[in-house]
Amino acid sequence: MSYLKNSLFLISICLVAVGIVFILVWLNTTESIRYADFQTVLTTTTATFGTMLGIITAGLMFTQGKFSELASELSEKSTDYLAKVLSLEKIQTIENHLLVLRKTFIDLAATTTINEERDLYERITVKASSIFVNFAALLNLKLKQQGLPDTGLIVSEMDSNLYRLYEKRRKSIRKDWQIFNIIKEIVDIWEAPTAFFTEKSGRKSALHADLKGSVSLLELKEKVDRSSTIRSEVVKMLSNLIDELGKISKRLHEDRIPQLLFQMEQASTLRGKYFYLALIFIAAPLLINLIILPQLSETTITFFKQIISITSLLSVMGVIFLLLYIHKILNV
Amino acid sequence: MKKTVEEQIKVLLTKHSEPPLKVIIPILEKAGRGEQELAAHIYDIDSSLTKGIKEIFGLKDKNMKTLAKVVEIVLGAFGQKIEPIELSESRFSLSISDCPMLHVGKDVSLNVKSKFCDLICTSGSRALMDTVLGQDKGICFWDKSLIKGKGKCRLVFELVKTR
Repeated sequence: MSYLKNSLFLISICLVAVGIVFILVWLNTTESIRYADFQTVLTTTTATFGTMLGIITAGLMFTQGKFSELASELSEKSTDYLAKVLSLEKIQTIENHLLVLRKTFIDLAATTTINEERDLYERITVKASSIFVNFAALLNLKLKQQGLPDTGLIVSEMDSNLYRLYEKRRKSIRKDWQIFNIIKEIVDIWEAPTAFFTEKSGRKSALHADLKGSVSLLELKEKVDRSSTIRSEVVKMLSNLIDELGKISKRLHEDRIPQLLFQMEQASTLRGKYFYLALIFIAAPLLINLIILPQLSETTITFFKQIISITSLLSVMGVIFLLLYIHKILNV
Repeated sequence: MKKTVEEQIKVLLTKHSEPPLKVIIPILEKAGRGEQELAAHIYDIDSSLTKGIKEIFGLKDKNMKTLAKVVEIVLGAFGQKIEPIELSESRFSLSISDCPMLHVGKDVSLNVKSKFCDLICTSGSRALMDTVLGQDKGICFWDKSLIKGKGKCRLVFELVKTR
């Protein structure tokens, strides 16, 4: 948040500076300026744009290098994860637990008349389904890699919405390292936040916390009604999931995967947004300048006067974006 | 491999979890029964939690200082930030700026919230005091400011003999 405020502050300063420069340039160009001065301005801005373009390209290569380095580090780790951390047996066990939980909570949600209780059970169903789909996508990849046939048993448990989500997840894994996006999502849905007694409004609760709450709720309902519910089954599933998913989460954090993914995301943003932004403000006016430069003569000067002032202004904005770009690169 | 303190607390909280109040209160209100069971349930959970915390941190003394420490850890683990006001041999008072009761649905009346606030705080604080100070050695009172819409709720723990 503070970073966003900081960026907004920088951009507002830049915009004010650009406004001042624009007014000054506009005022100056209305006065009569000599041909030699125009030529100097044009040559200088062209040289500035050229230099900036060079720096931007170097920055892009650096960012691309960083991105590739991170991608290769994660890809190396992904092999070990698929082979050891996510064994076929482990994925199938987790999928079975999630399936049972999903069915149990769909039934529980259907039988209650209290909105808050239904919301809790539906939340659990949605989250369990989401993890179920993510593991199904990983299982599909694993089976493919091992050359094993997919029995389609897991897919047969999905309704049309879940299947659509499953297909989306499956197709999102184009590179080896992308399995970590899925694993991280699983862990994020599962793990309880540090504090989970007081539910802050707007903050999403974790599946782990919702399941714990529902177990305690079922236990109390058993005491009140003096009847037995499916609590013991849920407790068993919860305990198994805590064990299995806890190990995956622990390993993920030990390997600093969330941090690496975050760095990749930053490098990717730099590669895209900032690069194109800078390119528009640098390459486009550079091209205009290069077209104008050979045409420049005493007679054409009046015609190109306003365009030259605008490209000069753009060079100022280009410098600003360049500074932001360098600032970002240094923080990757 | 030995578990870290944080891991031990996580396990403890997983083992002894309170029911979500914003769900259980409407259920019990509709059923018109179960309050005593909820009180007993919370007492059991908080007693086990306090015993576990005492064990993890090696807290053995039966005094207000230990109680203050346990309260801080338990409430901290539940996401509560406490502000200690006073700590003496016989008294510990603190204020909290958030409470689970605040997150109970808006359609639950203030009277109902007040009733459950008393029920939960009574059993929770009794569990804490019984486990740390000994059976019936302390009392606790609170001003319910938060559910009344005021800034902070003040809780006071006192040894029985001083009152």
